[in-house]
Amino acid sequence: MRQIPKHSFFCNWLRLAAFCMFILSLQGCAFLRSFQEKPSRLPGLPDREIARNDFSVAAGNDVIGRLALISLEKGDTLPDIARHFSLGINAISDANPGVDIWVPEAGQHIVLPLSFILPDAPRRGIVINLATMRLFRYKVDARSPMVSTYPVGIGAEDRPTPTGQTRVVRKTTRPTWHVPASIAERHRKQGDILPAQIPPGPENPLGEYALYLGKTGYLIHGTNKPASIGLQATNGCMRLYPENIEKLYRDTPVNTPVLIVNQPYLIGQRDGVLYMEAHRPLEGLGSSELERIYAKLRNLEKKSPRKLDWNKIKAVQAEARGIPVPILKMGQGSEIETEKPIVVEHPDTLYGKPETPELKLNAWYVLAGDLRDEIDARRMAAIINHQGPQIPARVLSRDNGFRVIAGPFRNISEAREAAKRLKIDLDIDGILIEPVDKG
Amino acid sequence: MKKTLLLISMMLVLPVTLIGCATTSELEKVQAEQKLIDAKAEQALRDAQAAKAEADAAKLKADDATARAEKAEQAALERERAADEKAKRADATFKKSMKK
Repeated sequence: MRQIPKHSFFCNWLRLAAFCMFILSLQGCAFLRSFQEKPSRLPGLPDREIARNDFSVAAGNDVIGRLALISLEKGDTLPDIARHFSLGINAISDANPGVDIWVPEAGQHIVLPLSFILPDAPRRGIVINLATMRLFRYKVDARSPMVSTYPVGIGAEDRPTPTGQTRVVRKTTRPTWHVPASIAERHRKQGDILPAQIPPGPENPLGEYALYLGKTGYLIHGTNKPASIGLQATNGCMRLYPENIEKLYRDTPVNTPVLIVNQPYLIGQRDGVLYMEAHRPLEGLGSSELERIYAKLRNLEKKSPRKLDWNKIKAVQAEARGIPVPILKMGQGSEIETEKPIVVEHPDTLYGKPETPELKLNAWYVLAGDLRDEIDARRMAAIINHQGPQIPARVLSRDNGFRVIAGPFRNISEAREAAKRLKIDLDIDGILIEPVDKG
Repeated sequence: MKKTLLLISMMLVLPVTLIGCATTSELEKVQAEQKLIDAKAEQALRDAQAAKAEADAAKLKADDATARAEKAEQAALERERAADEKAKRADATFKKSMKK
């Protein structure tokens, strides 16, 4: 009789323990799941983030990334949007023809061309396509081949970046810029005497990092003029956004091979669909490259059971929007399904957007423009703001027009220096404005 | 015989006189009708001329409006072109300023 209660107590205890374990295990699963599940987003809502630099390259695929759309807000400029999404000014303006670069309309939707066809070149080291003004850094991850891509600024029309194979021969942080004779001469003609060398700092056009190439005198470097990325503005070097060169510098050991190509027309496949991407060709190369790409397309057409839509191909080539466009479904299957662009949420702050300090009564200013049209005034202020190093500028509205004021400057010499830069770089005759409060 | 002749003459004169009267009234009636028609025609002509004048005026107005619209369109295009030119000049200056 006494055994029964003991057994019953033990059994009850065991049951209670098992029940508690069961409850805990359920809690544990729920707890874990809350970590594993990605935050679900309501359909139709914009995404916060989109891949812009680092992509894995699936076997047999030549196209990376996705197109995106963003709604502009008041005060946005295309160079600011471009920098935030790691695009060059060329890419964003070509993808959005007719959109004012400096004074776009708020609420306007613009395309972020964050989809790229990889250049027709071996996938190793660094490959730079001059026509698309984009650099590709190939790496092999533990699982799959990876590519990091960044927009670049390249050599001006009169100082083009040479194509061909080379390598990184040395690299340095905080480089000193030894002013080339041709640049010193150009500045001298404008009344600007440059020193023989410029030390690291905001005035140094090489920025904070430099990779020296085997082709003597040519570098991949940062910049103190971020708005020049996507322009033909260098002496033959390739410049990157400061945040991009920092990453490339860390990822690139000495002796990394560098191949510079010039491919305005690109074709490539992704998931059985053939894409074409066309850019405006740089001087003197368009027709031969077009012939090359047409020959390649004719070969692919022969191997495909379908016919190419040559009118579409010509339209893609003529529009030259720098966006991969599907042109042929390879193999058997239904019609081409066009991938829809991702709608991206406008960030609270755009990375690298120039900031204009508050007005101060005891500061110096430079009157840069007295204009009737607000758009002209806002454009002028935006261009001044995007100089490198930045010259802060704002628009002040009046009864009968708009004034563009550069500043504030701490003293007369800073204001004079800014006025000098406005004259040399932008041909603006600025007028110095004394402080209101001289105390 | 004289009586007979007079009777016959009278018998002839009376119808002729009667016919003559009838012809005169007819003529007056026709003339009155003609006057009415002429007045109508005059009215119609005046109306037509007025309508034509109105149409001409409307056409002139329309032509004027078209010319003004074309001028306004031209001016808008001109302004747009000037704005584009300004934007292009600003871009070119900016690009130049981005060189080292």
